[in-house]
Amino acid sequence: MRLNADLLISLFTATLAGVVYLVTRDLSPYGAVFVDSVLWAIAVLSVLVFIKGLIKPERIEFFESVIERNNILTGLSILLIYLVLIPFLGFLAASYLFYFTFNVYLAEGKRFKTANMLQSLVICIVVVTTFYVIFHQFLGVPLPESSLFQSDS
Amino acid sequence: MELVVEGLQAVFVPANFLLLAVGVFTGILFGALPGLTATMGLALLIPLTFTMNPTAGLIMLAGIYVGAMYGDAIPAILINTPGSPAAIATTFDGFPLTQKGMAQHGLVAAAFASAYGSLVANIVLITAAPPLAAFSLKFGPPEYFWLGVFGLTIIASLSSGSMIKGFLAGAVGLLLSAVGMSPIGGDVRLTFGFPQLQAGIELIVALIGFFCLPEILSNVVGRRRASYAKDPVIPKLRVIGEVIVSLLKKPVLMLRSSAIGTIVGFAPGAGGNIASMVSYNEAARWDSNPEEFGKGTIKGVAASEAANSAMAPGSLIPLLTLGIPGSPPAAVILGALMLHGMRPGAELFTTYAHVTYAFMMALLVAAFLVSFIGSFGSFIFSRIINIPSRFLAPAIIFMTVLGSYSIRNNMLDVWIMFFFGLVGFVSNKLKFHPAPIVLGLILGPFVEEGLVKSMLIGKAAGGILPYMVLRPISLVLIGLSLMSILWPFYAQWRARRRQNRVAGSAGGESQCD
Repeated sequence: MRLNADLLISLFTATLAGVVYLVTRDLSPYGAVFVDSVLWAIAVLSVLVFIKGLIKPERIEFFESVIERNNILTGLSILLIYLVLIPFLGFLAASYLFYFTFNVYLAEGKRFKTANMLQSLVICIVVVTTFYVIFHQFLGVPLPESSLFQSDS
Repeated sequence: MELVVEGLQAVFVPANFLLLAVGVFTGILFGALPGLTATMGLALLIPLTFTMNPTAGLIMLAGIYVGAMYGDAIPAILINTPGSPAAIATTFDGFPLTQKGMAQHGLVAAAFASAYGSLVANIVLITAAPPLAAFSLKFGPPEYFWLGVFGLTIIASLSSGSMIKGFLAGAVGLLLSAVGMSPIGGDVRLTFGFPQLQAGIELIVALIGFFCLPEILSNVVGRRRASYAKDPVIPKLRVIGEVIVSLLKKPVLMLRSSAIGTIVGFAPGAGGNIASMVSYNEAARWDSNPEEFGKGTIKGVAASEAANSAMAPGSLIPLLTLGIPGSPPAAVILGALMLHGMRPGAELFTTYAHVTYAFMMALLVAAFLVSFIGSFGSFIFSRIINIPSRFLAPAIIFMTVLGSYSIRNNMLDVWIMFFFGLVGFVSNKLKFHPAPIVLGLILGPFVEEGLVKSMLIGKAAGGILPYMVLRPISLVLIGLSLMSILWPFYAQWRARRRQNRVAGSAGGESQCD
């Protein structure tokens, strides 16, 4: 199905402007002047894009194929799970898990071959550990620790 | 002149030169890793310079600063992720070059242009610092407002498809820039209950989200491209010469970009992101083949990099003469000067002249080192892109998460990066390109602060409009903004007229036949 990109954009931006308008009514005059000016600009431009969408729409195919759609949804799910797991497993463990899984996932045909798995494992350990040491040990960035294995004391 | 020679002698003392080289290399690393910036590199390494004598310490800091200004171009060119906001315009042509298998061309152009911009700005710093510093004080709130507006007019040339959609995207970016505490009044806006958002949306997080993640999702994950770029990169020695000669044949482009960077640099607070975008826009506008921009041309990379590297010495002009830092890294350098007991102003050019000139010469020599390391380093850097995407993509995503987290040490930034990545992916599909959104996000704080302060001062001065409009620099900026908006229409009209003329003469010839 080919989507009308102009209509979608205008509806999304108009909705965004509407929500922002509603939550910014309690600002002081100097806090509101910029926001209000931008909201006006968005309102006018959204209407213009909406009209363009009716007269001369830009039609797009969102995904080129079902395979592409499935690939993207799977990739996004892996990334989402990674971000959710960081506070629970800690940055290091979650990153090992993500890197290895994503690497194996992208390998496609040779995904579950032993040599590929070993290669993925070694690269995953080297890359993640190196950057963890640089950021955490050398630069002193307090990366998230695991909340599951913390003692109560 | 004597001080300049003394300064050069101090830089070429073997121990100092080694420190400079180490500084440049460290700076390149800091610039190249998303999430690490020149400011962070300088701040982290200042304690190292405590024990050194002031000359050696400042020489090392000069190396870090100049190195970082080039380093941010490397990920911008290779993986469409600017190492810092100053390299955003480098992605516009740098990444298309990589996709064409010409990553080395982009990297060499960035290194040479960085060195060129830095060189020009250093010459200005050495020869004309005091009068320019006095000029920088003429920049008040209205000038910053119009500078921001002028920056926004770049959308006209960024939005190749539809200008209305480009401006709509820019307005969405301006709205995003309003998240957090308002600059005047202190209202907390659009934080939706997250106290971490009171400081606003971190720019580098937005850049990573909008530029890096959509590329991986679309090409590596979605289309399963085996390599991150369409064609593998085969670095060649002759590319270095070709690119440098080609850029030397464009003296106007190089000088204009360097001049823009220097001018924006000495306007306190403006910074490299504005410099590089204004310069990119002007390069595209005045080029005889503007259609090449955005599709992978070394001219685009050079325009952006010459400007953002020229900004660094430019930002030191008000710092050294007036004690006003022109950029965040310059503020850190101010701290280093103070720690060594040196106060900006006349004292720096009299009592501490030998240290000050050694520092300025170090910036100059660092520019040459950047050109050397960048050009020959391109053999290594450009090969990164040949790594199969199944290894590179997880590493890039891991780095983006690490970089987004490290800036403010909070997970909310990582989630914002992920959200912007999704928005960037969807908006790319809808042909609603995210570059103007990012432009709005960058320029929003300038425009807002300039507008609100101008309103306050203008009201007290007897009229907001005359105060905002009838000032010499404001008038120039208004003129430039109008020209920038109207230029695409003029260019279209000129192209149509040329087409008609060609069609007319072809018709005439065929009649003669």
